[in-house]
Amino acid sequence: MAKGNNAAYKKMIDKQYQDLMKRCQVHMEQIEKDLPEPKEDLHEILKDRGFSRRDFIKWTSVTTAALMLPPIFRPMVAKAAENFSRLPVVWLHFSECTGCSEAFLRSSYPNVDDILLDTISLEYHETLMAASGYQAEQNLEKAIHDFAGKFICVIEGALPRGLNGKYLTLGPKGKTGIEVAKEVTSKAAAVVCIGSCSAFGNIPAAKPNPTDAVGISKALGIKTVNIAGCPPNAVNFTGTVLHYLMFGSLPPLDSLGRPLWAYEKRIHDYCERRPHYDAGEFVEEWGDAGAKKGWCLYKVGCKGPYTYANCSKVRFNDGISWPVMAGHGCIGCTEPAFWDTMAPLEKPISDKTIGGGEKTVDTIGAVLTGAAAVGIAVHAAASAIRHKGKAQDSGSHNDDRMNTQEGKHD
Amino acid sequence: MQTSTQKYLGVKEWSASMRINHWTVAISIFALIVTGFYIADPFTISSGETVDKFFMGNVRFVHILFGAFLIFLSIQRLYLAFFSKFHADWRDFLAWTDLKAMIEQIKFYLLISEHPEKKYLYGPMQALAYTGCWAMVVVIIITGLILMGAGYHAGLTSVAFYVLKPIENLLGGLAVVRLIHHIFTWLFILFIIVHMYMAFWYDAVLKEGTISSMIGGRVFKKIKE
Repeated sequence: MAKGNNAAYKKMIDKQYQDLMKRCQVHMEQIEKDLPEPKEDLHEILKDRGFSRRDFIKWTSVTTAALMLPPIFRPMVAKAAENFSRLPVVWLHFSECTGCSEAFLRSSYPNVDDILLDTISLEYHETLMAASGYQAEQNLEKAIHDFAGKFICVIEGALPRGLNGKYLTLGPKGKTGIEVAKEVTSKAAAVVCIGSCSAFGNIPAAKPNPTDAVGISKALGIKTVNIAGCPPNAVNFTGTVLHYLMFGSLPPLDSLGRPLWAYEKRIHDYCERRPHYDAGEFVEEWGDAGAKKGWCLYKVGCKGPYTYANCSKVRFNDGISWPVMAGHGCIGCTEPAFWDTMAPLEKPISDKTIGGGEKTVDTIGAVLTGAAAVGIAVHAAASAIRHKGKAQDSGSHNDDRMNTQEGKHD
Repeated sequence: MQTSTQKYLGVKEWSASMRINHWTVAISIFALIVTGFYIADPFTISSGETVDKFFMGNVRFVHILFGAFLIFLSIQRLYLAFFSKFHADWRDFLAWTDLKAMIEQIKFYLLISEHPEKKYLYGPMQALAYTGCWAMVVVIIITGLILMGAGYHAGLTSVAFYVLKPIENLLGGLAVVRLIHHIFTWLFILFIIVHMYMAFWYDAVLKEGTISSMIGGRVFKKIKE
């Protein structure tokens, strides 16, 4: 029975992938017609940076697997990577620290993902562009005019809504941040939010949030792809863009707009220190014997169990390391409002102080339990005095719904 | 004070299924509190090799097992409240809506007046506490299922997890869910303390065998000569 089912299942899956492959091929041809020639030859750049063809092929295998596609898609991933610089990108900065751009641009051991990001066809990027003033404005207008409905709008940073939306007013025309965001996103093929600021508000929106900053999708009421993280992994961005290049659509998203292929599971689920968690081996304080043995960082505040991200699988800086491997717990940066909900970052959640004071839930609970015990003692003593020597008449129960049993003699 | 001539009438108050449900829920909640506190603030087991140890894993297994018990027992209790052949007590849970009776009951608790006449199976304050307790059970089950489903990617829990995902997002992520779960543990502890004291107090003041009624099913009322 199982065998027959398996064959039917396999056939169904095969057909599904064949259809997907057809869709991919059609879309790739379309892209080569529609979009401008690649500005740079990826293979030349890779050669210059000391990457061999073999390294590139290895990278396509890894990326294909990361995108949850079968190996037959490897050539398509390679082709999409070669076409990466065809895709026009407008990169906007709002309320943030530019750390995401910095993280992508300045990795000391760039892998193919980072190099791909270097080749990206940036039509407008406030940090990197040479133009300024009216020229910069012209570049932006030209890009959204020439590539209307074709370019990808990448946004870094939250949008502050306070001061009647007057924040982030800049440029020769004095447009506010919200105006620029509305203008550009309305013409974009897709809006990709890089980093937790543009995705969920993050630190600009942390309590007490004086500028009333929120994430892009909430500020503009549009659907965005949220590559959450502070900063996010370059792989998660390139993978999403590769998916767009291959299939002409954005990858499936979770309910918070994060691509499922990268943000479906928690840090905790694939953590290399997870066996120590299950064994009950915890680092009690920084630098103790457990820390030297690489035990679980839960008790020094690791927020991996509450954080959806693939850091533990893909790691950072060409897979060299990631925060938990380096010895500090996860701070939960891919989650909405992590700055508020994950605090204290180096203690477990049960040590969270509530109500703005220094009291944890356990302290308050213990005090209330003590108060209840004292109250009970007082009440019991008072009752003993009040009811002393008195045969309490139980009152007249007229519970006719109850089955009256035979009288019982004491 | 009782003389040997005092006669009592045994009145059945709790059906067997109610009693079994009460004590299995009690055992589950006790196990959940103990294991829950270990999960919240675990101690390290330093000796031995990692491969031989699975303490946190086992504690989490027990916690999840009793959590599942609590879910099914709550469903059973809900069924009994509406369809018990002996006495469906769902109306009695609403005894607290009678505010006048509530004031009388508070006076009784404050040792000002005598035991007021009972209109329902539960006193008004008791009904309020029990309704609150079941509301607490609902919250702790939902938050528990969210936390459990986050780590189990197959089976019934993962289905529950996807159904409850909007609630997780509404509350603000797993960290907030986890904090609410922890706060409600303390509410259960407070409930248990007050509940146990009130049961003992009733037993001592009314002398009707309140405590043993949850085991034997009967309260014993004095027969007036």
